[in-house]
Amino acid sequence: MTATDIAPPVDESTVVLPAVKEPTRWRPNTRGWAIRIAVIAALVIVLGVRLATLGGLWADHISQAVIFAIIGLSLNVILGYTGQVSLGHHAFVGLAAFVAAHHITERAGCLPEEGCQYAPMGGFAVAVGLAILSGIIASGLLGIVALRIKGLYLALITLTYGFFAVNSIFEIPSLTRGGAGMPAPRPKLLITDHRFMVFCLAALAVCLFIDWRFLASRIGRAVLAVKNSEAVAASYAVNVTAYKLMAFMLSGAFAGLAGALFAYRRQIVVSNDFRFESALLWVLMVVVGGLGKRTGVVIGSMFFALFPYLIDLVTPLSDFLANLDRDPEEFTLVIGPALALITMIISPGGIAEQIRPITNWLAGNRFTMHPDGGSHHKPSLLAKLRNRSAPAAEESS
Amino acid sequence: MRTPVVTFILAALIGLGLLFGAGVENGPNPFITLGVMNGFVYGLVALGLVLVYKGTRVFNFAQGEFGTLGAYFLFFFLTKGLPYWLGIVLAVAGTLVIGLGLERVVIRPLIEAPRINVLVATIAIALALIGIEILIARIEPRSLDSILPALDAAGDPAGITIFGLTIEPQRLIALGVFGGLGGLLAWFFSRTDLGLAVLATSQDSFATKVVGIGVPRMSRFIWGLSAALGAIAGILYVPLTGTLTPAVMTVNILIPAFTAAVIGGMTSLPGAFIGGTIIGVVQSVGGWAGGHFTLGEQTWNLIIPGVEQAMIFVVLLLVLLARPQGLLGKEA
Repeated sequence: MTATDIAPPVDESTVVLPAVKEPTRWRPNTRGWAIRIAVIAALVIVLGVRLATLGGLWADHISQAVIFAIIGLSLNVILGYTGQVSLGHHAFVGLAAFVAAHHITERAGCLPEEGCQYAPMGGFAVAVGLAILSGIIASGLLGIVALRIKGLYLALITLTYGFFAVNSIFEIPSLTRGGAGMPAPRPKLLITDHRFMVFCLAALAVCLFIDWRFLASRIGRAVLAVKNSEAVAASYAVNVTAYKLMAFMLSGAFAGLAGALFAYRRQIVVSNDFRFESALLWVLMVVVGGLGKRTGVVIGSMFFALFPYLIDLVTPLSDFLANLDRDPEEFTLVIGPALALITMIISPGGIAEQIRPITNWLAGNRFTMHPDGGSHHKPSLLAKLRNRSAPAAEESS
Repeated sequence: MRTPVVTFILAALIGLGLLFGAGVENGPNPFITLGVMNGFVYGLVALGLVLVYKGTRVFNFAQGEFGTLGAYFLFFFLTKGLPYWLGIVLAVAGTLVIGLGLERVVIRPLIEAPRINVLVATIAIALALIGIEILIARIEPRSLDSILPALDAAGDPAGITIFGLTIEPQRLIALGVFGGLGGLLAWFFSRTDLGLAVLATSQDSFATKVVGIGVPRMSRFIWGLSAALGAIAGILYVPLTGTLTPAVMTVNILIPAFTAAVIGGMTSLPGAFIGGTIIGVVQSVGGWAGGHFTLGEQTWNLIIPGVEQAMIFVVLLLVLLARPQGLLGKEA
């Protein structure tokens, strides 16, 4: 909101014709809704059946993709909603993973070397809660720093924090058991990869819901206002400190949840899993997905996670790589940054921008390539002429 | 002028440390010396960072990878049997060409974009370079020879010994190159028309266009120069550790170098040198103190993992919170 958005007072005497009542939002008719609902239902059924009949290996891949998607949502809160850059997210995710594993093995007393196969369900729930809490605390501390330090310098601080955490905190033997890794057995209910995948998908759904409510509510509008201009937001009585901290803590909560899932997916946490390359790649996958757009971020993150396995599906490509003695996973470090650069230079909106006509149509709008997205009805020329006396009102509709 | 004052205070502090450390058994003196010597390498990379920041107002996260790239080029040319000096020339030239290419393809289209986007773009460049290094050279470590052999004809370590630390010839060469390049850049920015044009571009690119200076030309110049500087730093540093692996400069040098540049104020060339020395000494002495600490009769053994990285984080945080414009910076 800037001051120019406020409509000037309309001088009653200059209004010659009564203002035309404009339809504020275009809505499809019954048939339109039916087609949309049918398409969504078909998508859900096809995806659901496909996921339900998935083998164990691909269920594990999908779990990894979902964890990446939650990490992407976490970074999206900082990158897309607050406009800052975090290059130390591997430290947040890693810390949460170690906290979750540490609780199961050392506190809840489920040691695999003593024959413990399944984690107790109560201990598992507490471990996930503690991991989320650790993410909130770590990210909240970063938020406090971010109150004073912004932009490039904050990015540098987060990068340094990541290096410090990996080399110092992740080397504390009682937390991480050094290089051998900390085991994190799953509870009996989630013991198969397939059930764990369903659990991850449920976690992603919860994150998406929270993210949606966060952005659509007063808090989200305040956070975006702070991103645009702290001074203007403060002058509209927005509590800059509180909303900034809130955004960072939400990001930390997602990162903590992702860390816990990370730990239980592999059932062991090794400090070598969390390298700065992964944190940088995570930033890039959010850029490719589309900053601030949760659908795009989820798709982009999943693509980055599944990329090596997708290469394996294309036989000529995987044969070519096998001949070269190269692992498909190594290509992610080249293709990922290249995609990010192409996105930034050619289409800064990312995947979200590319699929917007489709997502808009599914959400009950017109199918249009117009950048406005067709959510607002274009005023007719006649309506424009009639409302000429109040031009600002129509633009801010 | 603040520069001579800060330099004098720093030199006096290091001198005092050496003086007090002289009587201590297992004392800090070799660590202080090592810290100063490491500081020069940090300063060398920090020079490249300061150069890009002065010219374009962005942090170049790819600066470290330019160094690794230069070292790999040198390794490649040496395995082809070329003489060392020719290898260096070709390696710097190769990195320069890649720097210019990246500027044309990535940086130029983003010239009007927000600075944070350019930052993310340099991160992408660094990651892509690391990925290409891994694909072509694999993760296996390789060894890169020094310019002058580290052992003399009799098999003893060459170089000079100060406070119980033998300083290899390679470090002395690095020191000389660092001093020379720093002086050259300082002269370039303060005394030449081209240097002033570069500074003007970074301050107000529209006004610079109006007076007839080509902004793309300046951008090309800055990125080419910084790539060459990065390559020189890599060629000088990698033989010191002896092992060449992908991302070695980004992992080992980039963060201390950034911290050095920030301490110095991000825009100050002497600041890069002073910041590098401070970071080198703090890191090295911190490592010594974190390992064991003797005072009089008592000895404390504290083994803190990763104390060097922790020191950098603490120093950077304190500097940015207390004095964001750095010691010698002209603006935040």
